[in-house]
Amino acid sequence: MEKPERLIDENGRRVDGRRFDELRPIKMEIGVLDKSDGSAYVEFGGTKVIAAVFGPREAHPRHLALPDRAILNCRYHMTSFSVEERKPLGMTRREVELSKVIREALETVTFLEEFPRASIDVYIEVIQADGGTRTTGLTAASLALADAGIPMADLIAAVAVGKVNGQLVLDLCDIEDKYGEADMPVAMAPRFNSIVLLQLNGRMTPDEFRRGLALAQKGISEIYKLQREALKKKFSSIPPTET
Amino acid sequence: MPIYFSEHEVVLPGQLLSDNGKRSGEGTYSIGGKVYAAQIGFASIKNNKVVVIPFKSAYKPSPGDRVIGIISDVKPNGFEVDLGGYLTGMIRIPDREEVVNMNLKVGDVVYVKIRESGLGGIIIDKRDRIRKIQSGLLIHIHPAKINRLIGRRGSMINMIKKLTGCEILVGKNGLIVINGPTPKHEFAAMKAIEMVENEAHTSGLTERVEKYLKELLEKG
Repeated sequence: MEKPERLIDENGRRVDGRRFDELRPIKMEIGVLDKSDGSAYVEFGGTKVIAAVFGPREAHPRHLALPDRAILNCRYHMTSFSVEERKPLGMTRREVELSKVIREALETVTFLEEFPRASIDVYIEVIQADGGTRTTGLTAASLALADAGIPMADLIAAVAVGKVNGQLVLDLCDIEDKYGEADMPVAMAPRFNSIVLLQLNGRMTPDEFRRGLALAQKGISEIYKLQREALKKKFSSIPPTET
Repeated sequence: MPIYFSEHEVVLPGQLLSDNGKRSGEGTYSIGGKVYAAQIGFASIKNNKVVVIPFKSAYKPSPGDRVIGIISDVKPNGFEVDLGGYLTGMIRIPDREEVVNMNLKVGDVVYVKIRESGLGGIIIDKRDRIRKIQSGLLIHIHPAKINRLIGRRGSMINMIKKLTGCEILVGKNGLIVINGPTPKHEFAAMKAIEMVENEAHTSGLTERVEKYLKELLEKG
């Protein structure tokens, strides 16, 4: 896609018609897969991600198991058909990096000490990429972990803010990410106002950074609310097993 | 203590449950003097503590649990027992001769009781008789459904045992051994257990399983 003339028009509308502080249409479904212990499917506009969790289960290879807690494995991967350009098969360096930062974010909220010598495996597959794949992936992974019954301190909600034509905007789409001036993914565990992931590509002044973070927090609290609604909806129809 | 949840409300990880940080039980955690939920489930108060009964959870061995395991290793100082999933228990027997006399081999199925579980690993009580299971059908269901299989004061499992005439050993870790008069009876017991596993969350299950069993046994 060629660079559009303007990413924000004179009425303050972005390329997809949104205002600067509007999220894309979001869809969340819990428990979409049968073979995993927990799963979730999340859409942020054109970005579609599925996450699956297995665990606690035996650590493979065994010698990597830790005596006092579980290890958390995370694989963020984009399918070959998720993007228009040719995407190499297997894991690129970018995917290795995002797997790591997502894993570190999930580790901060998961009570790994409950399962010594086990592993909790998180798989994130991006099936269509339109910007914000790591934040959508993290949002989905946190729902999948909760669905699997893994004890957690809080859910994680994430969104990317950016700068286009000098303006700070919430929930970047792919065009804005490619042709804008900055892209800042932010993930939080909102209960204690903790930031669990924070990255920045491009340039922002300290003031823009502060305002961008505040904008991200606003988006995150909306996303957190949608996560809670999606989880309640799935589990409200099933009473737990009686004792 | 002030609580922030109601009886049939689904609680989510991170949800504030109470202001009394000292009273946090299973499925919860406490920070800054307050108790929060750690899993999705129903919150309630048990023994003066706030607990969350999760909809889904992995099996966590507790002292006193009776479980079924498979001997996975014989060591000079005891036996290793595979309890399913990633869990391995240890039967510690310091006397080498006693280990030999017990006559347990790798692959033997045993019914044992857990004495301790924690960072030191899962220790199996050797004072309580370690029962070797010689024969039967070994099946596996999700540990979270075991309580429903047993039922209130054993109502469900006793009904299945009575109707099928089978001896059924239930391990809290999800492993079950069935020994019956004929393969038809054993199969019926297995199908009943499968039905409980699939419909554990529904009501009126005991009556429906009873009806299903009667139909199965009649048909032959």
